[in-house]
Amino acid sequence: MSVYGSANYEYVVARVRHRRASLFSDDEYRKLLRMGTGEIARFMEETQYEDAVNALGSRFSGVDLIEHALNETLADDFQDLLRYSEGRLYEQVVRYLRKFDAWNVKTVLRGLYSDATEAEVRSDLIDAGEFEEAFLDRLVAAESIEGVVELLDDTLFETYLEGAFEAYEESGTLVPLENAVDRAYYENLVPDASVRGEAAELYREFLEAEIDFRNVRNALRLARSGADVDPAEYFIDGGALFDRKEVGQLVADRSTLVSRIRESKYGDELSRALDELEEADSLIGFEHALDRALLEYSDHLSYVYPLSVCPVLAYVLAKEREVDNIRAIARGREAGLSEAEIEEELVIL
Amino acid sequence: MIDALAELTTVAQQTGSSPAITPKSAAALAVGLAALAAGYAERGIGSAAVGAIAEDQDLFGTGLILTVLPETLVILALVVVFVVPSAF
Repeated sequence: MSVYGSANYEYVVARVRHRRASLFSDDEYRKLLRMGTGEIARFMEETQYEDAVNALGSRFSGVDLIEHALNETLADDFQDLLRYSEGRLYEQVVRYLRKFDAWNVKTVLRGLYSDATEAEVRSDLIDAGEFEEAFLDRLVAAESIEGVVELLDDTLFETYLEGAFEAYEESGTLVPLENAVDRAYYENLVPDASVRGEAAELYREFLEAEIDFRNVRNALRLARSGADVDPAEYFIDGGALFDRKEVGQLVADRSTLVSRIRESKYGDELSRALDELEEADSLIGFEHALDRALLEYSDHLSYVYPLSVCPVLAYVLAKEREVDNIRAIARGREAGLSEAEIEEELVIL
Repeated sequence: MIDALAELTTVAQQTGSSPAITPKSAAALAVGLAALAAGYAERGIGSAAVGAIAEDQDLFGTGLILTVLPETLVILALVVVFVVPSAF
């Protein structure tokens, strides 16, 4: 875990590939779909979730146990990635994993806003980013939103939050603060063009894909809801597919938007998703197809460029997906949904 | 003056006719370079193999074999030592 020295791609990629291969497969999801929550927890005990399930088994049960075990394993896993990687690779992975810092900050803010107890908020945090555990504890213990903003003074969120806090005090809603956190994350995600070299190029390519996909999703959601919101406000800079001005026009005209995506470099990966969107007109289906396409595209990148940051980021995406899937199954089971209904919620490659 | 010059020419001719190093030492250099290259190749493979073994102990055999595979390079280079004559 150091920023110095050269990147150790071989070591990290070998470990990550092995973990990627031992994620749950189709068959295992099918088995999980037929299980109750207790059985799922027991099933997880025989997989890579073993440690977390055993450690938390005495404190929680049922869905809570699954949820906490998933969060814990996710955090441990990503902390491992940071521990393994060195040099340029570490720098890139840590930049990417700040997404959990952003998530944690947002969770703390929302918790304070909705008067949740400290224990509730703490259990929802995912300790996978750059912030250390002690710092997260201090964030949770903060008395007010102003306190949180002050605590974040020395982090990269500082400059973004200052202005947003005034807007928050005026409007009394969390939206400006949340937007500021997201912007801080995304704008620091892609390194500026001054960093050259193949490794930086690949990293940029991967992130461009993710930002593009996120923009597509936001644009379609807005088009769908018909809300009178300026899409440019939710636009994230840095993608390759379209720019801030275009997105406004494209949202209004959905067929051009779809054909635009079809002609882009993601056309091949997304063709199935686009067909689904045109036929069924269901946004949920399309979003899942979009997730699947992003997974496929990230896998594709990681095979084309084996010694780069791509396999690591592809693994992060796949792991998150798996955690989401298991959570969906467990929650769905608890809510008494049928197998078919739950299966629709899953994103399986 | 002329004599000295003539002598120098013969000395130059003599040293010019024989190679800078003997064939055997050239072969030794070849082996050394091959070993360096093999070591460089093994560096990457070895770290990947250790990563894989850390995840799954069963991969020890595969990892070991793949790690020493570039070693064949050195063995092939060693053949050169026996092929070249010891002197002209």
